[in-house]
Amino acid sequence: MNMIELLTELAVMPLIAFTIGLFMVLMMRKIAAKIQRRVGPPLLQPLYDIVKLYAKKTQNSHGLVHDIGIIMAVGGYIAAETMLPVPGMNGIAAKSGLLALAYVIMIPSLGLALGVGQCANPNGSIGIARALTAMLAYDVPFVIIIFGASWFYGSNNLIDIVAHQQAGGIATWGAAKMPVLAIAALFSMYAMLGKQPFEIYVAPAEIATGPMVEMGGKYLGGLFVMQCFQLFTASAIYVTMFLGGGENWPFFLVKLFAIIAIPMSMAFVFPRYRTEDVLAVVWRWPVLLGLAGVWLVMH
Amino acid sequence: MSTLKNIPVVSHEKPSGGTGNLLANVFDELMAFCRSRSLFMLHYCTGCGAIELPPAMTSRFDMERLGIQPMVTPRQADILLVTGYVSTKTLKRIILTYEQMNSPKYVIGICSCTVNGGMYWQSYATAKKLNDYLPVDMYIAGCMPRPEAVIHGLRELMENIKKGESDNWRDYYRRYDHYLGNQQRLFGENWQTPTDIIGEARHYDLMGPETLGPHTALLEQHQTPLKPFEMTLGLADLPVRKDEPR
Repeated sequence: MNMIELLTELAVMPLIAFTIGLFMVLMMRKIAAKIQRRVGPPLLQPLYDIVKLYAKKTQNSHGLVHDIGIIMAVGGYIAAETMLPVPGMNGIAAKSGLLALAYVIMIPSLGLALGVGQCANPNGSIGIARALTAMLAYDVPFVIIIFGASWFYGSNNLIDIVAHQQAGGIATWGAAKMPVLAIAALFSMYAMLGKQPFEIYVAPAEIATGPMVEMGGKYLGGLFVMQCFQLFTASAIYVTMFLGGGENWPFFLVKLFAIIAIPMSMAFVFPRYRTEDVLAVVWRWPVLLGLAGVWLVMH
Repeated sequence: MSTLKNIPVVSHEKPSGGTGNLLANVFDELMAFCRSRSLFMLHYCTGCGAIELPPAMTSRFDMERLGIQPMVTPRQADILLVTGYVSTKTLKRIILTYEQMNSPKYVIGICSCTVNGGMYWQSYATAKKLNDYLPVDMYIAGCMPRPEAVIHGLRELMENIKKGESDNWRDYYRRYDHYLGNQQRLFGENWQTPTDIIGEARHYDLMGPETLGPHTALLEQHQTPLKPFEMTLGLADLPVRKDEPR
């Protein structure tokens, strides 16, 4: 692969991820609307919101770290997109792997923690403490699942994993070969998305959207962009690990949206857990399922 | 419903279309369109009008199909909905909230009480006309207006934003002296908010003929200087029990 081709892929992959993410946000809001018997937002609503937020005339910066925090939050996911193979494009996936990806998708939370810290808003600090607690909760099962999947495929390189699954059709998909791990991963991904009942760190009625409390204008716009990336990343990691990755774009898109639709259809009928309950639930069920799945994989 | 055409507003001059730079206007129009189609509202529920908002937001009337959603902090919001009578004490909070919002921002007064005091006309503790203290973009009159009326008013605001007519937020910067004077009349001479409006007007080039005046001069006399909030981790600052040995 020559340099120009690689650079094009590095630029195009985040853009594609962002576009898909916009439609995932739309789908999420539409599902919420349908559950609540509403019409829901129009097709381009996520885009209107982002353009509007970036077009704000005055901004409230709380200092340099506040600015850098948002850049880290978006940049961490942009880096993650270049490591996730999509049909026709591998980016730098060959040079990275599941472990590198697990590290990179922690950067946004840490960036947000830095940025929110400088806002000096108590709601924001509570929110970010809860966000990091939630990260602690879902990363334990996530690491167990990564271990099990890497053991099974004999590699943590995503290109190898996709090739391994696509060798024999649906029968060789991760979800068919290790169903227990796949269920644990779905649970872990649900917690990672931070939707109800795991919505402890947003909690609009309780801590006024937590980390987002001091974010307005371009800052909130950055977080809206981050949300698009987050939905795509979570879904794409799951599809790559368990659903055979992307053979071609139509199938890949169907899988991506279906995987996001599962937690979203459940989310909006739940209220919110308390922080300690999130830890209790996530450290109990996905961790137990994950360990059982690893045991099954190793025997 | 009135669009407040009769209130003298220093109009913001639009960039002239004939300069040949088509792209600038395309972006302006795109931004105006997106602003009109995506309105995050902060509902400051001061009075009975608040009860009409839940039906307007939920399944019966569903504001989200127009791109209007509730937001919970002033930083994120575009519209400040004041839904009912405004007592002197509440007005202070409304002004603090309004000044924390990012421009372009819009104020909507719902119910008769925000228009002229309504049934609280004779009350000593109630601010009568909201637009004496804040630049109101839209009044939705009624006691109380039905959700249909609220949505109609919001649609009219969307129409105004799309045409670029709803820019009363500039008026707050350009005639700050006028608004500050009314606020001082109500709250006393040493009234001060933590947001530096004059500084913002200077920074964003929004100074107008009446930004500075006798009332801002009075403010400067009484003002305690705005300082950045210092975060300290000194253990001496922590509250200590009285019987605890130091």
